[in-house]
Amino acid sequence: MAETHKPPERFTLRMRRYDPESGEAPYWDEHTIELEPHRSVLEGILQAKAKFDGSIGIRCSCRAAICGSCGVRINGEPGLACHTHLDHARASSKDGVIEVEPMGNMPVIKDMIVDMDAVHWKKVQRVTPWLINEGPQPEREHLVPRESMVDITQTMACIQCGACVSDCLAMEVDPGFIGPAALAKAYRFVGDPRDEEQRERLLDLSEDPQGIYDCTHCFKCVEACPKDVNPMGQIMRLRRIAGADQHINDQNNGHRHEETVVTLIKDYGLLHEAEMIPRSYGGNSWFGKFHPAAGKELLSSLPVAIRGIAKRKMSIKIAIFGHKIPKQDLNAVKRIYEKVESKPERYELNLYVSGVDEDAEQTPVGVGSEEGSAK
Amino acid sequence: MKVAYWPGCVSRGFTPELHGSMAKVAPLLDIELVQLDRASCCGAGVIAEHNQELADTLNARTFALAQQVDGAELMMNICSTCQGAQGECQERLDSSAEYRAQVNSTLADEGLSYEKGLTNKNFLWLLVEEIGLEKLSGMVKRPLTNLKVGPFYGCYIVRPRDRLGIDEEHPRDHYLEQLIETLGGTVIEYAGMRKCCGFPIITMNKEASLKQAGRHLGDAVDADADCLVTPCPLCHLNLDMQQPLAEKVVGRELNMPVLHLPQLVGLALGLEPKELGLSRHVVKPTSVIDWSTSVVGAAA
Amino acid sequence: MPAHDVLIIGAGLAGQRAALAAAKAGASVAILSKVHPVRSHSVAAAGGINAAINVADDWRSHAYDTVKGSDFLGDQDAIEIMCSEAPKEVMHLEHIGVTFHRNDSGELDLRAFGGASMKRTAYVADITGQAILHVLYEQLMKHHEQVERYEEWFVTSLLQDDSGRCCGVVARDVRSGRMETLQAKNVILACGGAGQVYSPTTNALIVTGDGIAQAYRIGAPLMDMEMVQYHPTTLVENGLLITEGARGEGATLLNSEGERFMEKYAPNKMELASRDVVSRAEQTEILEGRGVGANKDGIYLDITKVPRKRTLEALREIVNIGKDFAGVDITREPIMIRPGQHYIMGGVKTDVNGATPIEGLYAAGEVACVSVHGGNRLGANSLLDTLIFGRRAGEHAAARAASMGLPDTSDAQLREDVATIDAIIARPRTGRRVSEIKQELGETMNQYVAVYRDQEGLEQAHEIVKRLQAESKDAYIDDKGAVFNQDVLGAIELGYMLDCAEATVVAAIERKESRGAQFRTDFPERNDAEWLKHIDISLNGDGPQISYSAVTMTQWEPEERKY
Repeated sequence: MAETHKPPERFTLRMRRYDPESGEAPYWDEHTIELEPHRSVLEGILQAKAKFDGSIGIRCSCRAAICGSCGVRINGEPGLACHTHLDHARASSKDGVIEVEPMGNMPVIKDMIVDMDAVHWKKVQRVTPWLINEGPQPEREHLVPRESMVDITQTMACIQCGACVSDCLAMEVDPGFIGPAALAKAYRFVGDPRDEEQRERLLDLSEDPQGIYDCTHCFKCVEACPKDVNPMGQIMRLRRIAGADQHINDQNNGHRHEETVVTLIKDYGLLHEAEMIPRSYGGNSWFGKFHPAAGKELLSSLPVAIRGIAKRKMSIKIAIFGHKIPKQDLNAVKRIYEKVESKPERYELNLYVSGVDEDAEQTPVGVGSEEGSAK
Repeated sequence: MKVAYWPGCVSRGFTPELHGSMAKVAPLLDIELVQLDRASCCGAGVIAEHNQELADTLNARTFALAQQVDGAELMMNICSTCQGAQGECQERLDSSAEYRAQVNSTLADEGLSYEKGLTNKNFLWLLVEEIGLEKLSGMVKRPLTNLKVGPFYGCYIVRPRDRLGIDEEHPRDHYLEQLIETLGGTVIEYAGMRKCCGFPIITMNKEASLKQAGRHLGDAVDADADCLVTPCPLCHLNLDMQQPLAEKVVGRELNMPVLHLPQLVGLALGLEPKELGLSRHVVKPTSVIDWSTSVVGAAA
Repeated sequence: MPAHDVLIIGAGLAGQRAALAAAKAGASVAILSKVHPVRSHSVAAAGGINAAINVADDWRSHAYDTVKGSDFLGDQDAIEIMCSEAPKEVMHLEHIGVTFHRNDSGELDLRAFGGASMKRTAYVADITGQAILHVLYEQLMKHHEQVERYEEWFVTSLLQDDSGRCCGVVARDVRSGRMETLQAKNVILACGGAGQVYSPTTNALIVTGDGIAQAYRIGAPLMDMEMVQYHPTTLVENGLLITEGARGEGATLLNSEGERFMEKYAPNKMELASRDVVSRAEQTEILEGRGVGANKDGIYLDITKVPRKRTLEALREIVNIGKDFAGVDITREPIMIRPGQHYIMGGVKTDVNGATPIEGLYAAGEVACVSVHGGNRLGANSLLDTLIFGRRAGEHAAARAASMGLPDTSDAQLREDVATIDAIIARPRTGRRVSEIKQELGETMNQYVAVYRDQEGLEQAHEIVKRLQAESKDAYIDDKGAVFNQDVLGAIELGYMLDCAEATVVAAIERKESRGAQFRTDFPERNDAEWLKHIDISLNGDGPQISYSAVTMTQWEPEERKY
């Protein structure tokens, strides 16, 4: 049995306090508690509340990572306090003291309690978060494919804790970005066969400059999420469906950019940076660069290009012609494109649903076997 | 050691100084680079966004080509984005024999086949895990004394932790700090170390993209770094090539040179700045090294 | 003063369902919750919701299973209503978007659950409560113009007018500390049970018996308070729930000798017998020395039997719980569990429309006792209970509101409550801390008022509860502020918990028989002749007064209960 019951140990918690009624700035407050090492940071905080200072403010309820109340930052990383073990938290701390702060990107009300209405819930409401199915209802259930319900269970698993919103890097520079939680919620409807407004939802979220194409693809939300909702992955699925299925050519260059990269790699085998920029603006063809939107962008990028060429960072040849892989290999690549893209339906393996083969090594990528063999 | 070498696209395109410096540094570290000329772009996450199976198949092909390199101990890349994008594909391929068979049936046309369990390591990981910091420190000819270096990792090589094998035994999200110290430099910690350079949205929201780059560069300036070092050429593009534009967006002068990882290592191993391509950067690394005397950290 | 036709306290499944039903009926509705609605404890309900939707099934079979499960203490008219209305309610949930799992034909898939004679539990992986709660909240967001939400408001008193009608509440805006009187023609209590009275418990920290105590304090009778359910599979580590759905998927229970001991106790239904039967079986195995773990106080739940892919699909949450809280991969090894407090069948006495004897006061969900669960609740019947009676209470209250004016209220109670809070804050640090009293209460209840009870133990518990009630009046707190003062709310909740505990203990002493969840080692047999009746508790002066009420029987006569 894997359960190890070590005896209680002392852990020091450094909590970020803020008393709005005092007129004082936020400050750090330390308390040392005693618990078994596998117990949670939340239990530690509750012990501090019970024994030392009942005014410590933190939202909490279920203690089982299902209600989503106790979202905080622990040692600078977002997560649930009830879900983080004391020993792990101490190990990942800078100086052996576990730091607990309120979540980011949201105003602080008191101590570790933030105003989620002002940010998180506002963004959720932005995506029309209810099923739109207005017609006459069947007497029994709508018949839907089994897989579709299993698929959206991943986004249904979101407990609205805010951890992804807390540390979203795109939101940090662009506070109006709709964000990971709301967009994952949007997928819950786009992926639901019973929702009648797939196209409208995608049009809305693609055209909004702070919608699906504002995600900076940094994986912060993927790591923050305690429920494996994979918000960034859901945003990518929204892009996929918007572009490939709904043919939405958004004003944010999102779809054009995607198409451009895909096409350039088909034609060259490698990325052609100089083509990528104008085509993303002007359209995915060699003529894209002559489109007014591309022209405008090229003009503003001219200083960058000139500087680059002057420093011999890139040769003019590379800039204009790009570089290709050998012809035979390029043909092989083209054949792969043709074969995969001609399939009537996209095949998507979702590890959340399928899991890993029984015999698959759980070793992560890049660690490999002891000899580190390429074979 | 012999490695199946995937240099990526950008190192041969807009950041040739990366490719060049890697070629110069490898023999000093006893690394034989067998370049995978036939392989295609990893997709940078964008092909996967478009069609997952397509990205998985293209990368499976690269993996298969790597596995064919006789005597290669592993595959090595020099780009955080390749590491992350390829890693995501590999995770799917390795998870299911059925899926692998499906992908391999597409590769069969070319006579290629991917066998599960490839080891794909970024040059940064190779330095620490295969060569070892102790051995490396013995090779240092020009210690980076007085050089204050800020690490910039690039998102794709630090998140998600599980997939990238980051744990207590392999603190890969701290390797740059360990490396900088081993080479004699001073580590500068700053807020933007593991944040996003903004490259993925450069065409979709240019302002937000460059604001990220500008802010993180600014944080490094405030923390008194002489330069940044990064293992990702895409980050390099947004941080170096776009730095003048980023300055306009955040409204401050930055003057923060950004080094590629092999360049930093090369300097410490005694190579000359010019042969490492340092003159090709948009933001000239004058604070890094005195060109005339080759003294590192020469500028005050 | 804000005023509404229907004011609902508590925004879990029952409360939110009542709000939507009342709004649909055209009433002006407000819903109030001391936490954000999606944090309500309904969110933790895992396994599923029962309904006889299979064409081969019959709601009467479901009703019989429920009657039997209740050990014949359930009111059969209420049970018939619940089971006959279940299929329509489940279809309604599907229509508004609940993401129920499907079979290969695209229809709702049904899994096995405890005490059920056929598979009739619809589910969403093992997050059914969460899925339904979030979908209901989506509907509240959609209908935000018809339902006003008071999120993070805490009720301190129920209001009554001169003739004793309930006419609103006094509540505190937790964020600012401001107290207000909220008027209403009807108040529906939907605040949940009282699990925090016990330690450990599967229940969240917010489940402190608020509604039960508040109703009790204004003279509403409580019913069946001795009936407290111990769930068979709670984590030894920390008391967290491992859903019955695991056993529904085929998981088995093993003792230290590796035997599937349920064979001895319930040879027919085995692990899927009713919860009280399984809990007692486990407790007996433990008491007789066949427990597992370092302290030999656990039982193995073996989920490795379930195919891995199915576990990942349908039991995802317990994979997470096993990994995060017990360091166990449940697909590869068994997990240690034991019986733990989980649910209270008893509560505020209501009729089949959720109406209490106090005019204008309704109750629905775990806070109420209709009774559909009698002496023991079947798994997946609670989600059903909350929705059916939440809806009925909402409709009934809306109809009542349509034909009446707004009762008069004054600010007297508001002033009193403000003074009470100020007094708590000002208490000197001479007594005990609130958390200490709460801890002692929880341990006491878990020791004497648990799976096996006897006269001596119950009387001991009663003494302790009375002492703790006295001590609670001097319990001091630290937080003197107004903004988000969780400390002072904790002191008020302690009072609610002690009232609930007292009612439970008094009722348990009174019932001199074993039935359903109440097992008295001194009265081990069920005694229909003398005890086939409900025990009601009302506040009389300072203390609880006992009376009885009859069990309504329609179709089924009590019989021997074997699984």
